[in-house]
This record gives sequence, structure tokens and C-alpha cells, in this order.
Amino acid sequence: MNAEQLIFYFFAALVLISALMVVTMQNLVRSIFLFFVTLFSLAALYVFALADFIAVTQVVIYVGGVLVLMLFAFMLSNKELLNSLEPIKRTFKLNHLAGIFICLSFLFILVSLIVQIDFSGLDWIKSAAPILEGDNTIHAIGMHSMTRYLLPFEVLSVFLMMALIGAAHLARKGKKI
Amino acid sequence: MNFYLTYVLVASALFAFTALFTLFALYSERKISAFIQDRLGPMEVGKYGSLQAFADILKMLQKEFIIPTAADKILFILAPIIIFVSVYLGFAALPWAPGLIPASLNLGLFYIFAILSIETLGILMAGWGSNNKYALLGSMRSVAQMVSYEIPAGISLLSVVMISQSLNLQEITIRQGILTSEAVNFLGIWDVKAIGGILAWNVFQAPHLIVAYIIYFIASLAECNRAPFDIPEAESELVGGFHVEYSGLRFAFIFLAEYSMMFLVGMIGVVLFLGGWNSPLPNISSVSLATWTTGIGWGIFWILTKTLCVVAVQIWLRWTLPRFRVDQLMSFCWKVLTPLAFLCMLISGIWRLTMM
Repeated sequence: MNAEQLIFYFFAALVLISALMVVTMQNLVRSIFLFFVTLFSLAALYVFALADFIAVTQVVIYVGGVLVLMLFAFMLSNKELLNSLEPIKRTFKLNHLAGIFICLSFLFILVSLIVQIDFSGLDWIKSAAPILEGDNTIHAIGMHSMTRYLLPFEVLSVFLMMALIGAAHLARKGKKI
Repeated sequence: MNFYLTYVLVASALFAFTALFTLFALYSERKISAFIQDRLGPMEVGKYGSLQAFADILKMLQKEFIIPTAADKILFILAPIIIFVSVYLGFAALPWAPGLIPASLNLGLFYIFAILSIETLGILMAGWGSNNKYALLGSMRSVAQMVSYEIPAGISLLSVVMISQSLNLQEITIRQGILTSEAVNFLGIWDVKAIGGILAWNVFQAPHLIVAYIIYFIASLAECNRAPFDIPEAESELVGGFHVEYSGLRFAFIFLAEYSMMFLVGMIGVVLFLGGWNSPLPNISSVSLATWTTGIGWGIFWILTKTLCVVAVQIWLRWTLPRFRVDQLMSFCWKVLTPLAFLCMLISGIWRLTMM
């Protein structure tokens, strides 16, 4: 095993362990901060896939945006409300059975799909040009989002505009509301 | 194995630089503030108080680590490390001289912008972990301010990227001097590719970038929590803001992060707007000053001089202007800076299509 593989498995393990701890941890603030570890090591895995733009975008959007928003929501919420949250009981109950069943069936579908697919034989993987380490991927991303994916790009911008206007409308001091 | 050694050497050199710069900035901040307020400043330790910063560091090292009983210990201990490392990682993509850059990333500018956003997380961590209402209030103010001022800063940087057509900081710098292979036009009309110097800087290539630079400079002051945007640390209201509970070396790390951040945002501004490591002296027919003063040593000299000038302006502003109120701060960001930055970006697009 060379150094690169070692680092890859280190980050993969970090993603899994921290994600598990985020779910099971009782302390809400710590679990949000642990979520940062998950997202950041996921960005590291993107770097290994030579998707550096996605990796940096992941850090900007999730760490700089979503995570700070979650913390704000947490800190601005009522303290009484947080105290009234019951700690998760670890005993098994009958109504957990449905959840366990759904999780296991999803796991089964995923695993069976991965086993069935022959990744190296897929047409779109064979025909695609491989990305090299020094490639300037942002040029390609820019070109594609302005030509081939122009419609989704514009729809997204309209959607974000709607969200912005909606947020401004909710936040303003209205006479009617 | 040799390149691993280079990585370690480069990283330690950058760390040594940030530490040295902080010492220097501490002393100069005291002396400049003393000059502005018409007093002498530190005079006791060393000649003209020149060893004062070292004495301060010695004092910091000796202090005890105090963790408040009610604090969240893990978050409290980790926060200064995260704050410092996020700023320190930003130095990895900054160009120092022609061919001298720790990591020449295609995404350089975007990377720095992303890495700096982690600092907000560290500040929130410090504020929450201290379990102190002043610390929490300070960190909330700080994050609200940093998140809002990232928008005008980011958009004014984008208007440069639209002119330069690259996110690689080294390429952006090369395009502002005599080493470029593309056309460089002063104010969009006069070809100054062979003349170089101050005429080829981005702010003079497209004059609306002067406005963009002023927007970026104001926003960068807010991002490193410097006066007039220092409500997160307002001593008269919040004792000391998010770092009120920290002592000793942990406080030193927060301080180190703050001063490194000043240098970092100053250097980003210099690289993008003020020619980076390019010489300000132009070639005048046979007296080719620009060609003589371009090189690795000169590059480091120019970028250091320019950035230190920007840092000096930051210090000067801190001791001249009073503090903003929170509502003034927010309305200034959203109602003045953001629309102006959008306007700059629009002009950049039109400039790129028509003038270049």
C-alpha cells in the first residue's frame, strides 16, 4: 500500500466514523461540529477523485454556509425547547422494527446494485476522456454550464432568486403579518 | 522522498514568517497608535521599545492554561487551533515571486476563499465552548459580520477574475506585468505590455477596479474584525469578545491568527489589484527599470513592501475611526457595498467584451 492509498483509507474511515458519531452523539452542538469533520474529509475524498472544484465548493457551501446556518439556528432557538428534548433511549422497541426493515432493504438494494454493475464495461465510462492531474477543470465546467447545461443553470438561478425574495419578504416588518 | 522534505520546509518557512510578521506587527501597531495619539508608546524594553513584542510573547508563554469549569473542554481547546490553521492554510496558494509559489493551484483564489470560511466555524466554536455570554455574543456578532461581508468581498474579487480570466493567483499576477504574453492595456486603450510597471496593474488596466479594490479593502477589514468593524471584540461592551476566556499560548494563537489574517487579506488584495510581485517602476525607453527590478529577490521585496503598506493603512484606520454600530454595519454592507460590487462585476463583463 502506498502513501496515497493510506491517506485515502484514512479519510474514508474518518468520514464513516465521524458520520456515525454525528448521529449517535447526545450533545447537539458537538455533533454539529463533528459534522464539519465529516464534510471536510468528504472534500478530501473529492480531491482524490480529481474533482478539486467540487472539493472546494463543498467546503464553501457546506462548511461556510450550511454548517454556520445550522449553528445559528441552534444558538438562536429557545433554551427551554432544547432542554425538553428527551435523550435517545437505547432500548429496543417494537416500533423500531419498521425503521430497521427499511434501512436493511435500502442497504440490500445498494449492495446488490454495486455487485451487479460491471463498472469498467459501461459505455459512458469507456467513451469519456480521462481527467489528468494537471488539467484545468474549471474551464470545462464554465464552458459546459454556459452551453450544454444552460437551461438547468438558468433554472437554478431563478430558483435561488425566488428563495432570496422569499427570505427578504419573510424577514421584513410587514403591516399585515 | 525529497519532495516530502520540501513540503515540510515550505510549511515551516511560512509558519516562521507568520510568527515573525506578528511580532513585527505588534510592535508597529503600538508605535503607530502612539504616534497617532501623540504619545511615545513602548520605550522600556530595548532601544525605543524594540524588544517589547518579544517580552510580550515570553509573558504569554509563561501563563497558565485556564479552562473555565463550565466550558465545553474539547471545543474550548480545539477552537484556537482551528482558527489559526484555517488562516495559515490560506498562505499555501499565495504567489511570492515569479515561479515562487508554495502550491500553484488552478483554483487558487477560490481555495483561499473557501479555507477562510472555516475561520467562522472556529470562532463560533470558541464562543460556544467558553460558555460565557460575552464570548457567545462576540462570536455571534463576528460570524454575522463575516458572513455578510464575504459577499461584497467575493463579488469584487470576481470582477477581477472576469478581467483576468483565471483563478490561478500566479497567472493573475503575471498578467499585470512585463512577463505576460497577452496584451496589457492601460485604461483599455494604451498598450503598455513593454512598459509594464505601475501602468500595468489591474486597477489601472480597468479603472472601475479601483472601486472594486476599495470595496474589497473595506470588506476585508470587516473580515479580520479590525476597527471600524471591531464590534465582535468591542472592549467597552463585550470585555474582549469571543476570546475573553482564553489565556496563555491559546490566546497567543488567536492573536497570531488575527495578525496573519491581516497580512493574508492585504496580500490577496495586492496580488489581485496592485500587481502582486510586479515592480511599480515602468520601462522608460532605454532606462528599463521594470526589467531590472523583476526577479525572485525583487518579487519578494515588492510584494512584502506593498502588503506591509496595506497593513499599515489597516492599522492607521483602526486608530483613526470610531466603531460602527451593528445596524449601521449591516446596512452599509447590504445597501452600499453589495450593490456597488454587483455594479463593478457588471462593468467588468462589459469591459471584457468590448475593450479587450
